[in-house]
Amino acid sequence: MSNSLPLTNTESPQSAQDTASIVRDCIAARTPIYPIGGGTALDFGLPAKTPGVGLSLAGLSRVIDYPARDMTVTIEAGIRVAELQKLLATERQRLPIDIPQSEQATLGGAIATNTSGPRRFGNGTLRDYVIGISAVDGHGTAFKAGGRVVKNVAGYDFCKLLTGSLGTLAVITQVTLKVKPQPERSAFVVAGFRDLDHAESLLNSLSQSRTAPAAIELLVGPAWRNDPALGDLLPGEPGFIAVGVEGTEPEVRWMVATLVEELAAPATSVGKALRGVPGSPVGVATSTRPIPARREQRGRSLQSDVREAPAAEVDSLWHRLTEFPAIGGTPLTLKVCVPPSQVTAMIRLILAADPEASIQAHAGNGVVVAKFAEFSSAAYSKLLIGALQPAAGHCGGSVTVLRSANPAELTHQAAWGSLGDSAMLMEAVKRQFDPHGLLNPGRFVYFAR
Amino acid sequence: MTTATSRTAASSNSLSHLTGQLREALGHESVLSNHSELVVYECDGFVIEKSCPDVVVFPRTTADVAEVVRLACAFDVPVVPRGAGTSLAGGCLPVGGGVMLVLTRMKAIEEINLRDRYAVVQPGVVNAWLNQALRGTGFHYAPDPSSQGACTIGGNVATNSGGPHTLKYGVTVNHVLGLEAVTADGRIVRLGGPCEDYPGLDLVGGLVGSEGTLVVVTKIWVRLTRDPQGWRTLLAIYNSVDDATNSISEIIGAGIIPAALEMMDQGILVGVEQAYRLGFPLDAQAVLLIEVDGLEAGLDAQRNQIIELCSKCNAREVRQAKDAKERQLLWKARKQAFGAVGRLAPSYCTQDGVVPRTKLPHILRRITEIGAKYDIRVVNVFHAGDGNIHPILLFDERNSEQVGRVLKASEEILDECLACGGSVTGEHGIGVEKIGFMRKMFNEDDLAVMERYRQAFNPNGRLSPAKMLPTAGACGIEQTHPGRRAAL
Repeated sequence: MSNSLPLTNTESPQSAQDTASIVRDCIAARTPIYPIGGGTALDFGLPAKTPGVGLSLAGLSRVIDYPARDMTVTIEAGIRVAELQKLLATERQRLPIDIPQSEQATLGGAIATNTSGPRRFGNGTLRDYVIGISAVDGHGTAFKAGGRVVKNVAGYDFCKLLTGSLGTLAVITQVTLKVKPQPERSAFVVAGFRDLDHAESLLNSLSQSRTAPAAIELLVGPAWRNDPALGDLLPGEPGFIAVGVEGTEPEVRWMVATLVEELAAPATSVGKALRGVPGSPVGVATSTRPIPARREQRGRSLQSDVREAPAAEVDSLWHRLTEFPAIGGTPLTLKVCVPPSQVTAMIRLILAADPEASIQAHAGNGVVVAKFAEFSSAAYSKLLIGALQPAAGHCGGSVTVLRSANPAELTHQAAWGSLGDSAMLMEAVKRQFDPHGLLNPGRFVYFAR
Repeated sequence: MTTATSRTAASSNSLSHLTGQLREALGHESVLSNHSELVVYECDGFVIEKSCPDVVVFPRTTADVAEVVRLACAFDVPVVPRGAGTSLAGGCLPVGGGVMLVLTRMKAIEEINLRDRYAVVQPGVVNAWLNQALRGTGFHYAPDPSSQGACTIGGNVATNSGGPHTLKYGVTVNHVLGLEAVTADGRIVRLGGPCEDYPGLDLVGGLVGSEGTLVVVTKIWVRLTRDPQGWRTLLAIYNSVDDATNSISEIIGAGIIPAALEMMDQGILVGVEQAYRLGFPLDAQAVLLIEVDGLEAGLDAQRNQIIELCSKCNAREVRQAKDAKERQLLWKARKQAFGAVGRLAPSYCTQDGVVPRTKLPHILRRITEIGAKYDIRVVNVFHAGDGNIHPILLFDERNSEQVGRVLKASEEILDECLACGGSVTGEHGIGVEKIGFMRKMFNEDDLAVMERYRQAFNPNGRLSPAKMLPTAGACGIEQTHPGRRAAL
């Protein structure tokens, strides 16, 4: 989808040295550079306006070193994510990050956008897996940071700084990753909820679960109806909570049974901070929540419709949960980040504005992806800037735009929200890495370039 | 463009003027300026280098910190933040004198939010206090460096501290969500917070581990981790170091990620046994402390598999902790191993290097060779799971010739780590101690980019000068003969 970028031409280097050389040429000519990985997120951010050179990294796809017993892998940044996962699978390992369109998306692109998916709850994000990085900055300097070992605090942590920087500080050419063993199997426990209050009580219960879920997904809206894994909603149910678990066979069996029990009768809300709960002896199965009784509340049963998803549908459900944010065709896709306890409140606001919105919340992380079925021009200022961003900001969070059908309508405020204190420091860092403002100009959070 | 230089101490006239202003801003009881009081702060856990600050201040609030930094700017003197002073790399060494900002009075845990899995702490909160406060809640703060009884969270943020659990749980940066900090020009900024994925650059990630050279951290939002359901703790005893390191490879290769995997060699074992009488066989060449945690439904299978693998690698014996008390005892042996070193020699120097795990047998052999070459006894206790070695070089500080050999042996060990594709520091940081290694690990281009990055935050080099990056002033540190031993 390079037609979202104003490209005069595209260069396709085959090596890190080629890449550095092209970057240096562009800098000398003061030509903007638009790094391109798999081309799956080129419409992310504000629309680029200044014509420049497309820099395709797909030719940098070599495996440099894969010492599986060290649980690290060093590869060039243009490798397709799916290809990397296939390589790791040969040693029964994986990068436990869910990246959509993985046959196309490159590792470098995933890192530049800090893409993540449902398994972030149990496994973290790319920020937690990049341990070494090589890149070319806006001076044309090819540099490296981090290293090949999982424990390393020498120098500044550019692995973190470059993750999510949308190619605006440097063009990533090579990466060293921590990897993890592949789990034996996975499963989903699915619960329909009656209303958002019920959903919140289920999420509250899950926050104290004795299990260790890999994913806690709250799913609302048309996108999730008639899903073969999730099944049918009971009449009146707005959506599902799908809890994904991974591990050995006995672990998964135990977690599924325990989750079904916990979700069938959630504990009552416990507020912000638990007072001291008596501890249990170490090494013994510990329950840190009161054993829930089947209780009636306000005259209604709190029992939920809870079941395990069919085993044959598990893989495809993971896939759909991964692909959801990348599927376009709607006027606007937002990403809302709030504390986990505020997820249902934000969903309430979204549904009030658009009852037909489709929502996927990584509820344990407080990350809500919302696709609006309808979003007028006026809604950018009235709803997004006027209501959703302040609501998220009020609890210390943020709302950003993942995808807009009409990027020309995006203002900086709409796309990124208020950056507060960080704006000045971000500009200062950007100036040091890219003094001429040539790396992916106009798309990211900077006001200057 | 000013680079960080070793500054000359403020002239005594302007110094007394600055001290007066600091007293006025913070109160008399928050400022130390008599030499006899200042000398306490002339070094940290890295006792080989010493430098006296010109004045030491104890702020109580973020506003205090900002005021101190603003005054330091006005008087053009360096500022060096310090937590508990447990740095083993000279991270708190006030090169060039200046104002030392001791953060230990900012020690409140401001908020614990279990539902949203975060806590907010001031930088002077001792690492262990946070976990004490969380006891019984079902949550804990994962990074647990061995000095956790003394070190502060602010210090942990500065060095991106690790500890024994990093293989499974990550290091400090993986558990920091947000920071409030004072910049080099005295502005207070808030970065990140209780939520995830803040828009823009990950400045929080880019500041953790910056060793006080970019900002002074005044508040930290940390991620809380759910307690595991259970543990199995094992101690495997070996007749050879190679057998122990092979076991590690086998365990990882089987897809098991232990919560902790610590190794001790015979040298340290003897000291530990004398100190704590745990019934360790004094002729064992190495022991591995192995802990798996997680769901009860999976722990026995993991334990059994580990026992099988250790036995396959010729473990002489594999002991299991039967209950919480035995578990704590096994861990005591590891966490207080450094304390037991006192029985082995009057002084010691702990090194901190990293190699890829598969290179552990090689590096341990080389350490033995290097020790022999310089006639320095070296014992080893370290985080074997992630290849982070801590060779302990034993000496008598009164013998300056021996001290010279200790420094040479340390350098050769770290050179060897680099030759194996590792790092010169896994968790202690570069500080002052390892500035000379930065050029070995990174080339001039890499260092230029780091220097530019530092310019974005600390353009006048006022914060923690002559730390971490080899710049003009950093070579000017004199090697004094070692003084007091640092307590851990």
